[in-house]
Parts: sequence; structure tokens; C-alpha cells
Amino acid sequence: MSTTLFRTIQPNHFTLLTTALLRTRRTSRHISVRCQTSTTTQQSSSQQQQPRTSAPKNHGSNKLDEILKDYEAVIGIETHVQLSTSTKAFCSCPNSYGSHPNTSICPVCMGLPGALPVLSSKVVDFGVRLGLALNCSLSLKSKFDRKQYFYPDLPKGYQISQFDVPIASGGYVDVDIPLEFGGGHRRFGITRVHMEEDAGKLLHSDAGDYSQVDLNRAGVPLLEIVSEPDIRSGVEAAEYGSEMQRIVRYLGVSNGNMQEGSLRCDVNISIRPIGQAEFGTKVEIKNLNAFSAMSRAIDYEITRQALLYNQGQADQIVTETRLWDEGAQKTVTMRKKEGLADYRYFPEPDLPEVILTQEYVDSIRASLPELPEAKRRRYEAMGLGIQDVLFLANDVSVAEYFDEVIGKGADVKSAANWLMSDIAAYLKNEELSISDVKLTPQELAELIAAIKDETISGKIGKQILFELLAKGGTVQGMIKEKDLVQANN
Amino acid sequence: MATRALLAVLSASPPRMIRIKVSTFPSSSSSSSIKFQRHITIARCFSSDTNPSVLQPPDVSRLAETARISLTPSEIEECGAKIRQVIDWFGQLQQVDVSSVEPAIRAEMEGGNLREDAPETFENRESIRASIPSFDEVYLKVPKVLNKE
Repeated sequence: MSTTLFRTIQPNHFTLLTTALLRTRRTSRHISVRCQTSTTTQQSSSQQQQPRTSAPKNHGSNKLDEILKDYEAVIGIETHVQLSTSTKAFCSCPNSYGSHPNTSICPVCMGLPGALPVLSSKVVDFGVRLGLALNCSLSLKSKFDRKQYFYPDLPKGYQISQFDVPIASGGYVDVDIPLEFGGGHRRFGITRVHMEEDAGKLLHSDAGDYSQVDLNRAGVPLLEIVSEPDIRSGVEAAEYGSEMQRIVRYLGVSNGNMQEGSLRCDVNISIRPIGQAEFGTKVEIKNLNAFSAMSRAIDYEITRQALLYNQGQADQIVTETRLWDEGAQKTVTMRKKEGLADYRYFPEPDLPEVILTQEYVDSIRASLPELPEAKRRRYEAMGLGIQDVLFLANDVSVAEYFDEVIGKGADVKSAANWLMSDIAAYLKNEELSISDVKLTPQELAELIAAIKDETISGKIGKQILFELLAKGGTVQGMIKEKDLVQANN
Repeated sequence: MATRALLAVLSASPPRMIRIKVSTFPSSSSSSSIKFQRHITIARCFSSDTNPSVLQPPDVSRLAETARISLTPSEIEECGAKIRQVIDWFGQLQQVDVSSVEPAIRAEMEGGNLREDAPETFENRESIRASIPSFDEVYLKVPKVLNKE
């Protein structure tokens, strides 16, 4: 039974996570709306049930669970975050996704002779911001280096990056694993964060023996976040990735959009027999454009490597880059690495070192918003269940809306319930985001208060809610207009 | 001209990402690329020779391969000697005792050299595009580079 349940969840879990949460919430919501006293019991029992039905922490097949009795996966992730600056990193060309191909170019980003790069102050600002958010130590002096390789998307023949002295290093990030994947709190080390520039975009036509290049992206600023090899499963990897997305969105340094390629994760994965100290041969997986794909690609790769181990063919696991093939749901060899690539790094002679003052760092630290982890812990301390906490803190605009509602004195639990059930459902149906709705946080707080003091019934409250969501207005106005005051006896 | 050569290198290089036959490189672009090649060679000596006392003689064939240029045996010989001279010069520099000097990560430059994040469109984009050898409508056209097994 649990296996069946599991299989139905498996193919979608991360993409549908929010929806799944939503559904669960909605069910219990209906009950709690009608009989408020039973809310708590209902919630706790649904929470207890859930991990049982979908218990194994590595979702999916029994095969994988079998494998994980004998082997341990060691996973590190490199995340490239495209920054939402107005210009490219080293020239003033507009950084705008979706521009007409090959129009946002100039001698600097095209690497023409004599052109000199000048770093944008905003890139440094964002680098410091992200470094601090990831609990890193900052280098008050860092530098740029040239990483050299030939590829048609790289006009200069080298990428300006940071090699041995990155802007930030030695941090960590805390995540909560959702209950349906076993729950729990995990901390993953962050090796470093460095500034670099993006390459152009290569498009491979199926027909024809050529590729197409759009150089608008060449020179667009990136921050690369390298994790420690602390991640042990596809679920943890997907949660790590989601947390990076949340953090960059909270900070406003990137839109974190995976489809547009603004957030790209490359996974390094090896497995080793449990108890073995040294790492196995690691394989890199690219082309992961959703967290669900990341999770599935890792599970596939663990299974593939374990099979080779079990067949005594561990020597066939080679250092290589594999691509996730979404259609076939498997990883395929992209290129074998013959030894380590020789990028011949050397200090970028055209750029000075990047100097930060302690005052500058402190001023940025002081301006950081409340980050997802702090928000989750605060919501938890308010008495909200972990599913509510994860839902509310997931989207920064939802979290801000929620904070405003409770800031107006609304009951925390009711505010969470309204947001997670009826409002979330409305947003989903209308394909809107919370910032699009006409209902102000003030009025939601009023509505909750009106139901609480029994001016109106829960049922009437719901009617009013949908009108306010669509048209705006005030709760008091609506009550007067429609003469909705509950007979108070 | 240099641009054109660079772009020629760019668009011609992809198939050589896997296996570079030094001799197959178009000879037209090799002469103008040699300067570029030397530049990289010097850089390499800066960055990767960790043992100051023993400086390896240059492996010119391999350097040519990493720079995606082709050299004739006589060019290899000629370059080899010249690169060797440069390396030897760095060898002399490395004999200087700097143990009492705090390492600098970069040479001193004037401060305040960051740029505001204000976009500006480069006026003469057409001349850049005009120097691109091959277009497929709005995209640059290059040899297929996806090497999937």
C-alpha cells in the first residue's frame, strides 16, 4: 500500500511539492474552518500520518533503498546564479534576458583587442550579500583570474573568474527537509562563493551540422556557489537547490529562474561502500533544469553506480560529465574527462584586486533582509507546524504578505490557514502571484478579526474573501453593503 | 584584422575540442595567432611552475595544442628556443630572495575603479557583427559542438 502511494507521488514530488502541501492543507483546512477547536488535533494527526505513508527518506523505488543499505552517496553541488544587474559584469552592455540575439555586445564582452573590462560595483555588492547570507568569511582583498578554454560561446578565449582568492568562503546553509521526504534539519557546508562572467548561449539545431551562438549572455555576471560534499541523497540535493533559490530571491540578487537558466546546478556525485573513508570516482551531471530533475538524476546515478560496483565493474565508473536526459529519465555520457582540464589560470592583468572595507561589509550586513532560515525558525517559534512554516517561508512575497497580516494583529494560525488554503487555491486557479491580488494584508487581518469576534460567520467570511481578492475593497464596506452582520444572539 | 583572425579561430576550433591534430589547423590563421600563443605561454610559466628551482623546458607541441594553433616542426623549434629564453628569465627572477616581502595578490593600482550599474548600448555594434564570418539569421553559425556519445 505504501509503495503504491509512493509511486504515485514519486515522479512529481518536488515540482508538485507545493501543490501537494496545498492539498493536504486544504483538506485539514476545511475541517478547521468549520470547527475551529479541532484544528490542532487534526493537524497533528495528519502530520503524524504523512511521514509513515511515505516514510523512506529516499523516495522512490525499493531498489534504491536496498542500495543505500550498502552504499553511501557523496554529493557536492555547484550553483551558478545569474545576477539581476542592469549591465554585464565588466562592460555597460544591457543585461536583459530575451533581447534580440547578438545585440547586447560591445568590444569588451566580445574580447576585441584594446578593450578593457571595468567591474560593476553591483556585482561586488551582490557577492558580499550572498557571501554573508551563506555565513561565509569574506576576503577583504580578492582578485580575478583568467580561466582559459576554447569554445564558440566564449569570445575572448577565456572566462574572467576568481580562482584561488574568491570573494567569500567557508560558510554553511541550513535547510529543513519536508516531512514527506523524512523531515529533519540539515546543515550543508559552503566551500566558496566567487564572482565570474557567463558565456554566450549555444543552441544545437537537430538538423544540420552546425550550432548557433547568441552572445548576449557573454559577460553577464554570475556568482558561483560551491557546496562541500555534504549532501547524501537526491532529496537533500533538491532541498539544497531550493534553499539557494529562496536565498537569492530573498536577497534580490537574482530571479532564481531555472527555466531561463538564471539558476543552474551542476551535481558532482560518487558513491562508496558504507564505512569506506575515501571517496569513489565522481561524475558530474549537467542539464538539470528543475529540482525534481536533480533529485531523479541523482537517484538514477546512485543506482547506476551501485550496479557497476555490485557487478565488480567499479572501474567503469569514470570521471566524466553526464547529461540528464529528461525524456529517457536517465543520465548519458556527454564527455569523458581525460585527466583534469588544464585551464591555465593566471591573474587577470586588466583588472585590479577587489578591495572591501570592513565598514562596507558591515553596512551590507546591516541591510540584509530576514533570510529563509531565520523566517522558518521565527514562524516555528510562533507555534506554526513545520508544513505551514515551509509553505509560508518558501516564497518571499508570500512570507512578506503573511508578516504584514500578522503585523496588523491577526491571529497567526488563522492567517496561515487562509493563505495556505483559499488564497493559495485562488492564486493557483487564476495563475496569479500574491502581489497581484487586490486584497490588502490590512483587510485580510480585518476579515480574520471579524470572524474571530463573530461579526460574521466563517462561511460569509469566505464569500467576502473571494470578492476582496478579485475586486479589492474593505471588509467593513462589504459587510455594510451586503448587510452581512451575523445575528448576534 | 586581429578580430577577424580571432573569430576565425573561434569558429574553427570546436571540432578540435576532442582531438586536436596540430597539422589540420587552417594555416591562414596560424600566423596571426602566434602572438596570442606566446602570450599564453608566458602566462603559463607564471602560474603553474610551482618549483622555482627547476624550470621545465617548454613542451611547445602541447602548448600549441592547448592554444588551438598549428605549428610546423621548424616553427616549433624556433618558438621553443624563444620561449626557453623567457622561462630562463623568470628563472633568474625567481632567484631573488623575497622571503621578507609580504605577498601581493595583485600589483598596486589606483582605487575607485568600479563602474555604476547603468546600461549603455554600444553604438557601433554593426561593425562587430560585420566581422563575424558566418551567420544563421540572427545567430552566429559555428560547427556543431555537442559531442554526445
